Amino acid sequence: MNISANLNAPATANVAIRVCDLHKSFGPVEVLKGVSLEAREGEVISILGSSGSGKSTLLRCINMLEVPNSGTIEVAGEAIGLKTQSDGRSRPANQKQVDRIRSELGMVFQSFNLWSHKTVLENVIEAPVHVLKRSRREAIEEAEALLAKVGIADKRNHYPAHLSGGQQQRAAIARALAMRPKAMLFDEPTSALDPELVGEVLRVMRGLAEEGRTMLVVTHEMGFARDVSSRVVFLHKGAIEEEGAPEEVFTRSKSERFRQFINS
Amino acid sequence: MDIKFALETFLSLVSALPLTIELAVTSVALGSVLAMLLALSRLSGILVLDLFARAYVFLFRGTPLLVQIFLIYYGLSQFPAVRHSIFWPVLREPYWCAVLALMLNTAAYASEIIRGGLLSVPHGQVEAARACGMGRLMIFRRIVAPQALRQALPGYGNEVISMIKATSLASIITLMEVTGVAARIISETYRVIEVFVVAGAIYLAINFILTRLVAFAEHRLNPQSRPPLAISGALKGEMQ
Repeated sequence: MNISANLNAPATANVAIRVCDLHKSFGPVEVLKGVSLEAREGEVISILGSSGSGKSTLLRCINMLEVPNSGTIEVAGEAIGLKTQSDGRSRPANQKQVDRIRSELGMVFQSFNLWSHKTVLENVIEAPVHVLKRSRREAIEEAEALLAKVGIADKRNHYPAHLSGGQQQRAAIARALAMRPKAMLFDEPTSALDPELVGEVLRVMRGLAEEGRTMLVVTHEMGFARDVSSRVVFLHKGAIEEEGAPEEVFTRSKSERFRQFINS
Repeated sequence: MDIKFALETFLSLVSALPLTIELAVTSVALGSVLAMLLALSRLSGILVLDLFARAYVFLFRGTPLLVQIFLIYYGLSQFPAVRHSIFWPVLREPYWCAVLALMLNTAAYASEIIRGGLLSVPHGQVEAARACGMGRLMIFRRIVAPQALRQALPGYGNEVISMIKATSLASIITLMEVTGVAARIISETYRVIEVFVVAGAIYLAINFILTRLVAFAEHRLNPQSRPPLAISGALKGEMQ
């Protein structure tokens, strides 16, 4: 059965993330050339593209880890304020707003980025306790449930250095989930993993998709993009080259480049 | 070697130990604050602060501590402006001149140790903290500082040991710390070997204790570099 059939969010669902005409340059290199994207609640969008296509930059702009040169980003209907400095560079107008919106988005990185001086459990409760000011007891209860869900409850008191890559990434997913995010951003979550560990992380992500979570996933996993996502976006040289439901684009894409990309 | 004389010497020198320790503790404590400010200046990305910190480290790391002590103790009093300033009651005291020189000197070395520690924290971990909505101060306090401390500890331990030994230079400006007292006993008795052997043993003993303390702190602060706790061992045992 094709899971994506149940996941196609109704057109009436609220927009979780809206990106409009996003431009981003690093020095003279223009990485994003006017990208617009809309993710409705419950949608799983796979962002594909060869390296250098700007897909990670797009994702990192959504929670302002990269500040776009122009364009707008809305999270749950709230636009992130940007202002232009005297040197022409743009920056967030209100850092407090950015911090709050970041706390509403869960981010999972390619290289896990767990805090190496904290145990798995401490990693998961850190932000709920210190950013969201939840009680420690409540945070621990929730963290234990999340660790059980991603299948590493027995590793709760281990330090990241003692875990395999797949376990670290699942801990990182639990850490992101602990913020009760409105949407999850995955930046190539399986690209740093040994092939035999990819499956365990993808299984967890598939489970999250089935729960109806809003997910933006930058990935090279064609199987995941095809079977799990409700929509596929293909970036090429900083612009969206192809976009649509997976069954549609994977079987009859009009883009020659996309056909080449998936067949390579 | 005259054991009885060595014992008497030991008692005289031990009575000077509090001053040695006081010099070291005061200058390391004040110096660490200055070192932190210098390290943050270097990493601030603000050009003026960065250049100031670079120049400071260049100057105080590049000149001998003894020269710095002389300049502060003998040099500053040459200026009437200094003698008439509110700092004079402090600057005319050899004790405070020694503390000032030691502090300024250790700050230069320690700032580089701290900077190295701060730079050792992987950028991805800072990004993960930002992505959770942590502010700059919280990231520094909860993520960067604890890891930087662990990284800097061995180097900082070295620096503190150097400082213990460097306090002996304060004897040059009349302070009667361990080396000062040793020099006085020698000038009275001409028995160089016994006195300096005892003095050396006292420094060695302090630094032995210090080394153990640093090693203990390192062990406590680095649970992630120890093997996983007994629980996994017990599980392995059950499986057999």
